[in-house]
Amino acid sequence: MSLLTLFLLSLLVFAGGHLLPGDVGRAILGPLADPRAVAALDHQIGADRPLVTQYVTWLGGIVTGDLGLSLIYRQPVANFIGVALLNSLKLAAVAFVIVVPLGIFGGVVAALNVRTWIDRTITVVGLSATIVPEFCSGIALILLFGIWTHVFPISAAWPKGAGPLTQLYYLIMPAIPLVLVLFGYIARMARAGMVEALAADYTRTAMLKGLPWRTVVWRHVLRNALLPTITVIATQAGYLIGGLVVIETLFHYQGIGGLIYGAAKGKDFPMLEAGVLIVGLIYVVATLLADMLTTALNPRLRFGGGT
Amino acid sequence: MGEACTLTSANDPPHAKAASNMNRKNLDVLRGTLSPVENDLVDHLLRGSVDRRGFLRHGSMLGLSLPLLGSIATGAGLMATPRAARAAGKPGGTIRVALIVPAGAIDPVTIADNGGLELLQSVGDYLCRTGPDFVLEPRLATNWTPDATGAVWTFKLREGVKFHNGTAMTAADVVATVDRLADPKNASNALSAFKGVLSKGGAQKVDDLTVAFHLDAPNGNFPYVLSSDNYNCIILPAAYAGDFEKNFVGTGPFKFESYTPKVGAAFVRNDAYWGGRPAPDRVEYTFYPDIQPMILALQGGQVDVIEQVVVSGGQAILNDPNVTIIRAKSSGHEQVHMRCDTGPFADKRVRQALALALDREKLVKGLFKGYASVGNDSPFAPAFPSTDTAIAQRKQDLRKAKELLAAAGVPKGFKVTLTTEHYIEIPDYAVLVQNAARAIGIDITLNVESQDAYYGKATYGQSDWLDSTMGITDYGNRGVPNVTLSAPLLSDGTWNSAHFKNKEYDGLVGSYVKALDLGGQKAAAGKIQTLLLDETPLLFGYFYDFLVVTRKGVEGIPAIPNRLTLEKATLPA
Repeated sequence: MSLLTLFLLSLLVFAGGHLLPGDVGRAILGPLADPRAVAALDHQIGADRPLVTQYVTWLGGIVTGDLGLSLIYRQPVANFIGVALLNSLKLAAVAFVIVVPLGIFGGVVAALNVRTWIDRTITVVGLSATIVPEFCSGIALILLFGIWTHVFPISAAWPKGAGPLTQLYYLIMPAIPLVLVLFGYIARMARAGMVEALAADYTRTAMLKGLPWRTVVWRHVLRNALLPTITVIATQAGYLIGGLVVIETLFHYQGIGGLIYGAAKGKDFPMLEAGVLIVGLIYVVATLLADMLTTALNPRLRFGGGT
Repeated sequence: MGEACTLTSANDPPHAKAASNMNRKNLDVLRGTLSPVENDLVDHLLRGSVDRRGFLRHGSMLGLSLPLLGSIATGAGLMATPRAARAAGKPGGTIRVALIVPAGAIDPVTIADNGGLELLQSVGDYLCRTGPDFVLEPRLATNWTPDATGAVWTFKLREGVKFHNGTAMTAADVVATVDRLADPKNASNALSAFKGVLSKGGAQKVDDLTVAFHLDAPNGNFPYVLSSDNYNCIILPAAYAGDFEKNFVGTGPFKFESYTPKVGAAFVRNDAYWGGRPAPDRVEYTFYPDIQPMILALQGGQVDVIEQVVVSGGQAILNDPNVTIIRAKSSGHEQVHMRCDTGPFADKRVRQALALALDREKLVKGLFKGYASVGNDSPFAPAFPSTDTAIAQRKQDLRKAKELLAAAGVPKGFKVTLTTEHYIEIPDYAVLVQNAARAIGIDITLNVESQDAYYGKATYGQSDWLDSTMGITDYGNRGVPNVTLSAPLLSDGTWNSAHFKNKEYDGLVGSYVKALDLGGQKAAAGKIQTLLLDETPLLFGYFYDFLVVTRKGVEGIPAIPNRLTLEKATLPA
């Protein structure tokens, strides 16, 4: 099923990429290049072959684990994808580790203080942060922490050979806009789940049978409340890995988002396909993980329906 | 103007030495040794119809050495202005440059983008290079001379130049480089510049240090075609196999250290450089996809130099008191084309009316904060020495514009669509043209497309650029107007989006291109400028400057349009 999804995705990207105007030779040589030079280049890199031939050749490579050559850089796509993927995963991990506990905590606190000023503050602040575009918060952060106070480096590209701690230091500032975008989202889901679970019969039962409040929240409410939140977090994985073109540009970071964007602009079809497929794959894996986690947390699913 | 004093080459012709301490009497003696074409240039200098700069520019193209030109100019009573202060910083250290990310593989044959080009020219050299003020400086060639018609140009190469791999640079390498670029089978980006000028096989070795170029047709500006102006022409070893990225072997001031596509590159000083030991120990390039992060990096102290800042989007850094702006006049511009063969602009009075509606001074201020020169509706930028400055500048005149529209039978104006590309300031320019047109009743609808969509297949019938009724197109800096006079305006031009067909014009361009002497070029230029002002197939509103921005204290970077030159750059002490 997942393989079929990825296959359809690759077809869609291929077709979509070739619907756009222009060709790769022209993209490399520029609009004013002589048509003979464009034709010669297209021939050299194989972009003048029939579309079906190009796709089948590429598919044949993929099946054997060969991502092909970048048309623009004339180097193996794998060289680029590997670095970009690792970078994207690192940035996503930092953002993830900050925003998930923070978002859940915010949602839980809001739910426990539902309809008080605390609840309203968390909701309003969270939603406001979500709608601020990353380039706004990113530039504000750079000005504040990078240029005026020099707390963080303004570029996320750490010096060569930097250790994990240095890398983390470089990644904190670019992660903040992502945290801002996702915090409100996660907090709202966590709050809704909590409010619902707090009002549920089993919570009342647990309280009536005299369990301490802390135990009720930890063992009964939270566990049920977080199920929808986990699904929401999983759907954000694709965005965190492949959707960060703006952040990557602003913080000068080589990730998958920028790679896909550049490949699409330059009609670098093998690079584009590989980038999109990687993001697709991550999306599929994240959804799978979320399903497994949901199963683990939900006894009804864990014990096979149990009707 | 200090070039005349600072530049000397090892192989100056003998009369160069005799020319020092020139006075008016010695000048006459010296003139006996010059060719008729060269003497024509000196006549222009003495008559005052060319200034010192123009004299140097044109003389350098004819292959006269700069020291000689400098002393002739001095002998003619034109003293050089004091030279710019020498770099005060101390040599050494690493210069960190923010560079726009190279668009593809670094291959001198195919390269077309500024990022890749910048890497290329720090490790490579051209036969000659356009320096500040469009003066042609000798590089790997020490001098060049045309035959009587300008159909064969002979280049003398510098002795003792070595590639980074240790082999000597000789005529065979130059012939192979030029042949490779002139070959239509090679995906060469220089092909459009060589078209009709030089074909494969035209470059012929005379001896180890002499190459003769047999042109397709006489060409008075030919040295520019082999200069940094035709940027693919860096001289490579004859055995070049298309793998430049592996080790970046050229003859340039810097040698390969590392290169990571999309990330950055580092080069180290070439101690064996023919031009003397370069000032910086290292040059480190970091690639950026956009101007905004470059500006932040400079302000945050992570780079020393931004390779190019465009005013549109770069305002923040241009107002920053902590930076130095290096400003070079260029011939880069945007052309507004109006179809001459069909539609509302077929009547030349309508085209003239729109041209008269533009307030050019305001364009320069509004779009470029003054970092541009006004254009006069022809490719002859103020920066070119052959431009006839006696031709009156076209100015805004709304009353006359309305009269012309009335005379053309459209007193109430008309509706038309302007199609253009999303590129730097073009969309803003389009809005200003739209506003100007509204003032005389022409109602312009804007259609701003991606560059891919706008250029399309770049052939007639399959390109909005070449087929639209009206459009705006970007043209980069060039050392001479030959290309912009030809491809967009000749009857059989390949980029003629205005569909302008005029036999008289074609003839004038022919005589301009052929003319070796400045007199002949200027005479043709004056006629071309007058004809284009009358016909107005294209609007040239402005020619923008090239801006390099450095942190304060970085010195020794010459103001050369579009060619960041770092071999003499120093960091603050």
